Amino acid sequence: MIFRIAAIGILVAVLNQLLIRSGREEQAMMTTLAGLIVVLLMVVKEIAVLFDTVKTIFRLD
Amino acid sequence: MLFKIAGSIIVILSCSFLGFILSGDCSKRPRQLRELQGLLQMFENQISYLSDIITEAFERIGRVGGSGTGIFFRRTVEILKEGNAPNASEAWTKAVRQCIRTTALNKEDEEILLSFGKLLGNTDIEGQVKNIRLTLGQLSLQEDKAEESKKKNENMYKSLGMLGGIALVIVLL
Repeated sequence: MIFRIAAIGILVAVLNQLLIRSGREEQAMMTTLAGLIVVLLMVVKEIAVLFDTVKTIFRLD
Repeated sequence: MLFKIAGSIIVILSCSFLGFILSGDCSKRPRQLRELQGLLQMFENQISYLSDIITEAFERIGRVGGSGTGIFFRRTVEILKEGNAPNASEAWTKAVRQCIRTTALNKEDEEILLSFGKLLGNTDIEGQVKNIRLTLGQLSLQEDKAEESKKKNENMYKSLGMLGGIALVIVLL
């Protein structure tokens, strides 16, 4: 999980540099955004689990 | 596990291949512009030294021109022979409009070719030669531009293909 996110981060960084250097700033920003969204989609499940855990710890259910 | 590895390799390979194809397309336009300049130069020589009539000259150029930009000349001769156009200039315009899709040339190049066609066959040899020279100059400017954008895009498409493949594999895995 963590390694996957790290790999996506590195890839997006490289793609970003590549696109900026060939003069396509807009697409570079779009790839950054796409990477962010993909990572968020991967993380959202874990966040839900964390939320549930916090709720059960403080007996809010 | 083996399945996954094999699939990942296939995905990466196909994405890189796609990138290579796209970068190959990038180098097509400058090559075709160069080719077109060569053909026009030939046309100039033929009308100024051999005094060929336009269909003969175009036929010969079309035969030499190969599959790329020679198609304009071949199509013009075809249109003239079918009798679909009253004169050479209109036949050329029609041929350019019909065949521009089959080449890698863009809108600007098309405009240059069309304006070349406007004077085609309407003046004496002197005027024709001047017209050809003008078109040659414009085409070589276009070639410089195409060369520049090729340099910029060629490497980008190559690495973009491979990195895109790797990204896809990471997301899917």
